[in-house]
Amino acid sequence: MRIAVLVKQVPDPEAAIEVEAGGKGLMIEQKYSTNLFDEFAIEEALRMKEKLGAKVKVITLGSPKATEVLRKAIAMGADEVLFLEDGAFQAGDGYATALALSRAIAHEMPDLILCGRQGIDEDRSEVGPMVAEFLDLPHVGNATKIEVGDAKAVVERTMEGAHETVEVALPAVITAQKGLNEPRIPPVVGVMRAMRATISRMTPAELGLEPSQTGAAGSKLKTDGYTAKKKRPTVRFIKGEPKEQAAEAVRILAEVERAI
Amino acid sequence: MRKALIFVEAKGEEPRKASLEVLSEGRKLSEAGQFYVEAVALGSVAEGVKRRTLAYVDRFVGITDEMLNVYSPQGFARALAAYAQKENASVIVGGATEMARDFFPRLAVRLGAGIASDVTWVGWDDDPITCIRPVFGGKALAKQTIIASPALLTIRPNTFPIAPPPERAGVYEERHAGLAPDQIQTRVLKVEEQPKGKVELMEADVVVAGGRGLKAAENFGPLEELARVLGGAVAASRSVVDAKWRDQDDQVGKSGKTVSPRLYIAAGISGAIHHVMGMDTSGVILAVNNDPNAVIFNYANYGIVGDALEIIPAMTEEFRKRAGK
Repeated sequence: MRIAVLVKQVPDPEAAIEVEAGGKGLMIEQKYSTNLFDEFAIEEALRMKEKLGAKVKVITLGSPKATEVLRKAIAMGADEVLFLEDGAFQAGDGYATALALSRAIAHEMPDLILCGRQGIDEDRSEVGPMVAEFLDLPHVGNATKIEVGDAKAVVERTMEGAHETVEVALPAVITAQKGLNEPRIPPVVGVMRAMRATISRMTPAELGLEPSQTGAAGSKLKTDGYTAKKKRPTVRFIKGEPKEQAAEAVRILAEVERAI
Repeated sequence: MRKALIFVEAKGEEPRKASLEVLSEGRKLSEAGQFYVEAVALGSVAEGVKRRTLAYVDRFVGITDEMLNVYSPQGFARALAAYAQKENASVIVGGATEMARDFFPRLAVRLGAGIASDVTWVGWDDDPITCIRPVFGGKALAKQTIIASPALLTIRPNTFPIAPPPERAGVYEERHAGLAPDQIQTRVLKVEEQPKGKVELMEADVVVAGGRGLKAAENFGPLEELARVLGGAVAASRSVVDAKWRDQDDQVGKSGKTVSPRLYIAAGISGAIHHVMGMDTSGVILAVNNDPNAVIFNYANYGIVGDALEIIPAMTEEFRKRAGK
């Protein structure tokens, strides 16, 4: 069995993010990590490898710095990695990114494709389902449990106000939700192996993509600029004995804010 | 005039709240003559859903097919894409529910469309359409333009107010999707719905959230009680979910849900950035914490330094008095 895992490098949740003067771009503190939901996907693939003997290939699209997430994946136990690093791939929307990733996957079609339910940077939650559509495969989103069987998988997933159990024909795309597993810490031997590992790369041409189909040029959603989030006025403390505080809070919420 | 399709999602006999919000916005657009607005549902449509939806639009189309009676991303994307193409729709919009966010990306690929997910503002007058999306967990807002047509949008719940149902009598029509069995490669084996009457967290107007400061799982009781009298939902911080005091479904934050209620009450929550990323776009925020230096107060409109286990029940009682319940 062959498994492809899609991962993304994102600013650490703790990283400070500010809007540049003029609002054209963002200033992002240089602290990066593997997208949390993608780590669940890597871990799940590695557990399948240990149980069923799968071969795990981890793919990312990103800037040169994103080799870090690939090396970490190798350290955790991934067999191979593929890096879509070419400048032409960068700054794409969900559509352009999913198109490039789907071509990279199709290059060596796996039995299962895993990825996180969403990147915690752009918060789009689009790439997994889009990759499935580009490859004409089924997908199951928000998985909290995956059992792989013969040419099919049984997946438990969360929906609004419901938990569902879904059977899906393989190959398929499954996106990981929190609760799927607890990602491992890379062992020291893995880290050593990761340092020596070769990172393969593919160019847009090798994926059969024209310059007009990749990155910003291939995008259907264009970012015009950024604004800072609305600042809340400084907190107003409600003082007094607990009962007075509660009564005043309810009065403000009902009469001033009209929120209840 | 440009044509906009509104995807209506049902919850039992009613359209979902997120759908009613988009329908309300749609009615404004149609009255302003900006768009020809039509509602679309997939699968069999309950009478209650028909009645409520028809109050907002002139035409409501149910795309029926036996294979659409159970949700599947492949089936829904295929059926809606075919209809949108036939109708030459320039905009398709839905509430940013788990379901819409699951199949709209597939719909975008089928249509070669541009998609903006979980938006909090739309520039309907603009051609092409522009929008604002919170990014990086709400640390910044991105202004974006959907340069491909059609434009697909999912709208964050609680972005548009629900207008009272107007006196409008639209017509309901049905179209058959004609799906083939091999076009859907998933099969739902089991569905466990949450108890009836429970307000869904992402759609709730009021959220009462608890954190580690509550000290024990059973201390969520008073939060449940306040949420019940306010018609809201209970949420939890990550540490509380990791300690198994609350279910994962209740978690608000980076690795949980993003909510944007009119009122967010944070009880015994320290205010770690992981949590704030999931609730920062809420209307009014009231924080209750016994530590006057808790970070959560930096994100709140109102603060109470005190024991949540005293304050929350007292608020419930006070609200009951006020409401005469």
